[in-house]
Amino acid sequence: MSLLRYTVYRLLQAIPVMFGIAVVTFLMVNLAPGDPVDYMISEELASEELIASIEARYGLDEPLWRQFLNYLGFSWFLGLLGVPGFADAPPGLLQGDLGLSMYYDRPVSELMLTRIPPTLMLVLSAYAFALTLAIPLGVVAANRRNKPTDHISRIIALFGVSTPSFWIGIMLIVIFGVWLGILPTGRMVYPWRDPAFYGYGNHLELWYQTLRHLFLPVVALGTLQMAVIMRVERSSMIESLQSEYVQLARAYGVSERTILRKHAFRPSQLPVITLIGLNLTTSLGGAVLIETVFAINGMGRLIVQSIQTLDYQLILGTTIVLGFVFVIGVIITDLAYAYIDPRVTYGEEA
Amino acid sequence: MAIGEQQTREEDGGADDEFEANVGWRYTLGRIKSDTTARFGLAVIALVLAVTVITAIDTHLSRLTFGALDDYMLAQAAPMLDHPTRHPDPGTSERRMPPFFVDGGSGSITDNPLGTDEAGRDYLTRLIYGTQISVFVGLTATAIGMGVGTVVGAVSGYYGGWVDDVLMRFVESLYAIPALVLVIVFTVLVSGNNPDITYAAVGVAITFIPVFARLIRSRVLSVREMDYVEAARATGVKDRDILMRHVIPNSFAPVLVLATLQIGVTILIVAGLSFLGYGAQPPTPDWGQMLNVSHQYMLSNPWMSVWPGVAIMITIFGFNLFGDGLQDALDPRIK
Amino acid sequence: MSEPLLTVRDLKTQFYTDRGAVRAVDGVSFDVEQGEIVGLVGESGAGKSVTTSSILRLVEEPGEVVGGKVRYGDRTLVGFDEAAVADEDGRPKLVHSEEMLSNREMREEVRGNEIAIIFQDPMESLNPVYTVGGQVREFIQINRDMSKEEAREEAIEMLRRVGIPEAEDRYSDYPHEFSGGMRQRVLIAMALGCRPNLIIADEPTTALDVTVEGQILELVDDLVDEFDTSFIWVTHDMGVVAEICDRVNVMYLGRIVEQGPVDEIFHDTKHPYTEALLNSIPRPDRTVSDLSPIKGTMPGAMNPPAGCRFHPRCPDARRACREVEPDLLEVGLDHRSACIKHGEVGYWESEPLEHTEAQPETVEGPR
Repeated sequence: MSLLRYTVYRLLQAIPVMFGIAVVTFLMVNLAPGDPVDYMISEELASEELIASIEARYGLDEPLWRQFLNYLGFSWFLGLLGVPGFADAPPGLLQGDLGLSMYYDRPVSELMLTRIPPTLMLVLSAYAFALTLAIPLGVVAANRRNKPTDHISRIIALFGVSTPSFWIGIMLIVIFGVWLGILPTGRMVYPWRDPAFYGYGNHLELWYQTLRHLFLPVVALGTLQMAVIMRVERSSMIESLQSEYVQLARAYGVSERTILRKHAFRPSQLPVITLIGLNLTTSLGGAVLIETVFAINGMGRLIVQSIQTLDYQLILGTTIVLGFVFVIGVIITDLAYAYIDPRVTYGEEA
Repeated sequence: MAIGEQQTREEDGGADDEFEANVGWRYTLGRIKSDTTARFGLAVIALVLAVTVITAIDTHLSRLTFGALDDYMLAQAAPMLDHPTRHPDPGTSERRMPPFFVDGGSGSITDNPLGTDEAGRDYLTRLIYGTQISVFVGLTATAIGMGVGTVVGAVSGYYGGWVDDVLMRFVESLYAIPALVLVIVFTVLVSGNNPDITYAAVGVAITFIPVFARLIRSRVLSVREMDYVEAARATGVKDRDILMRHVIPNSFAPVLVLATLQIGVTILIVAGLSFLGYGAQPPTPDWGQMLNVSHQYMLSNPWMSVWPGVAIMITIFGFNLFGDGLQDALDPRIK
Repeated sequence: MSEPLLTVRDLKTQFYTDRGAVRAVDGVSFDVEQGEIVGLVGESGAGKSVTTSSILRLVEEPGEVVGGKVRYGDRTLVGFDEAAVADEDGRPKLVHSEEMLSNREMREEVRGNEIAIIFQDPMESLNPVYTVGGQVREFIQINRDMSKEEAREEAIEMLRRVGIPEAEDRYSDYPHEFSGGMRQRVLIAMALGCRPNLIIADEPTTALDVTVEGQILELVDDLVDEFDTSFIWVTHDMGVVAEICDRVNVMYLGRIVEQGPVDEIFHDTKHPYTEALLNSIPRPDRTVSDLSPIKGTMPGAMNPPAGCRFHPRCPDARRACREVEPDLLEVGLDHRSACIKHGEVGYWESEPLEHTEAQPETVEGPR
């Protein structure tokens, strides 16, 4: 199986999971007690007509199964095929339409479009930070197994896994923002904006300022991933260093340095890649908290706002999209895995 | 035994004669006992559990070293009670006092050692009582998640086919949504916008179904093919009995390790949840919720933000340390 | 006869465990001449693999070579001197001798280009994430100071020589696309491609089925004729020994119990353990009922039995065997055996041991 065919195969495999995410979220939001319309209008104002008009506007006047088909965008297709009763069905998820936000009164997809880039920037930078520290540290710890370096890095990693990211964020703000006053703690700067928007002279300054602003949130969000990746890197590197192919390389006079960098290193990346994919969901969850602490207007904050305002359509849309981001992330890491490990595309997994 | 037949891949010169002894509970416990980190982790867990139990009893005895409980636990409305206290009325004591070793603090280690909160309540007392929530949710959520996850995973792995497909797609979908988001949405919507720690515990338990289900499923898949299970099935033993007698007991050790580590994860999630205001509600003392409040006073009294985080860290550290030790003990290959 | 290619004298390797030191190799001596195949035979756990990795100084923690001497040509791979300071037992402490090669010299001058190794398990010995050809090429490149292109040509040539069809195409395949026998051929190509004078083959055919084993043995035979390479052939299989080896060393519990030319060992067996080994392999001229497996299992190297280490399982054991530690004694031309039957320490005068009681009585070891 070629890499291309494997990609298609993985994408096809993701469809049922994406469908499942939509079902789980839709059911959770709609089967919960409480009526979205009740939260929208105060009791005194509630009249039959008003409620009916609101329900009609958001498509809540139809039976649940019909709402679900509408939401997914199946109804729209059925309408296209001329199935009676679906003639003027609205577009849905499959058409890229996630409905109207009740609070903002704007399309959910439009609201999310400006919120996804900051979250991606934050999460990807956090992974970059985590990987650049965790991989060398894990390798060194494995190479000096059960020596002081190893023990110290293991304890640090264990603390990293045990500390809430948002608390690290708060502490970083207190130390670097309040106490030392050397780094900005909020009002994120985005590199895709016009430098003049922030009053910067050129793009170089904008990039520099972006890095400065990103530093604390990235450290806060990345520490957990760093610790987790380091632990896995260490143990998989130890396993790799004990493997027969490494012993063979030693027996053929390959230097320890080359063994560490090549023979043992490449196979030991496989568990790390799997872990990055699976932990993406933890990072997206962590982004919710970090965005709140550092006032970054990303997806996480949008979710928190949608819950505060009980904006059903927005809760539904943001949750589903976060799930999709995770699924896509896992596919990307799977492809990276297949790229390193020739056995995957050979068909052992299929 | 003929020489030609007993060739194994065990390394020459190793002491293989006690290979049999390397599995089983006694061996595991022995290793935990001899493992410093696991012992230290166990000590932290024991301390945390002791604090939980003592505070749970003490809630009604209203006394602890640092003063009358009700005064410090409840909102500022708490009036002076009949019994004498060593501390002034919380309503009148200085609010947001820094810890004793800082200028402006009480200056005495017996007197509001970690300062007071936004309502003038003793911070250390609230911190100690905050243990209850974390441990309660950590244990219950993990237990529920483990129970449901085990059933889902066992059924899925054992029956295979479309049952497996449906359950696994469901489990993967559940896993794809970030745990924190899932718990918040669940808590807020199911409670009818009246979030409470009980809902949070159930929510966290739901997010744990995938991890346990997947672990159990993979164990079932490997055990299912074993000869003795085949034999049991051939002789007409019921599926349910095979699952209960062979598969689940066989998976107990790795599940235990996972559960220990998941308790730490629960405490992390609950802290985040309370920090956003959807976990324990005031006046119940809870670490995440204390961080939520202290976040507002980050500039005037950053110390308030320090202590709950330290408490969370130490607690989770204990569980992780023990989980690590347990894992090493069960898998001596990597140490 | 000229100077042997490899001399091993009184080699000792220990493993340090929680329960004390395990003497995995306890005073092993043998020679390898240019162009001959020397067998190292014994049950698993006898210390064969540890011996070979000690020669290459590849013993890993918690193991350590603690004594003896290994010379390869005019180079000292392992050597010890007595230091002026004494250890805690009052004996002079052993330190690495000055003429012993440094780790760097070992790596650059000996491993691969002088002594190459073939491991037991062809499935695990190749790196799964690199191409087969690339791995062969890399080892040739570093051990023969070739350019990448030359090494590639040489690698393809070697793969062809060991009988891999369409070697050029298969060069860029990954290990999982090769069968076990083919992978073993790759490992042999790797070893031969580095043009060493000595190849250590550590049970190279154990993981293979019999037909493939036959092919590999034939291949090695041809290649030895062609390249005049010496081999140390580690195995537990006396059949393989008979087929391929010139001289044999039989190991039991970290020691050599008998050594000599292959014909002498097979036809004029002097040690009861060797005899037991030979009796336990099926032969066409005997029926199954003639097979006599060795009683019991080999004890651990942690607490070896006192006296002769084989006496608890030995059919010929007498009381003296429990007290006397046998040395290797000359029993024929270039043929030595460590059994007191051939010495003058009173074997014939002492009573035979009853085997039912022999086992428990071995507990009294030297403290």
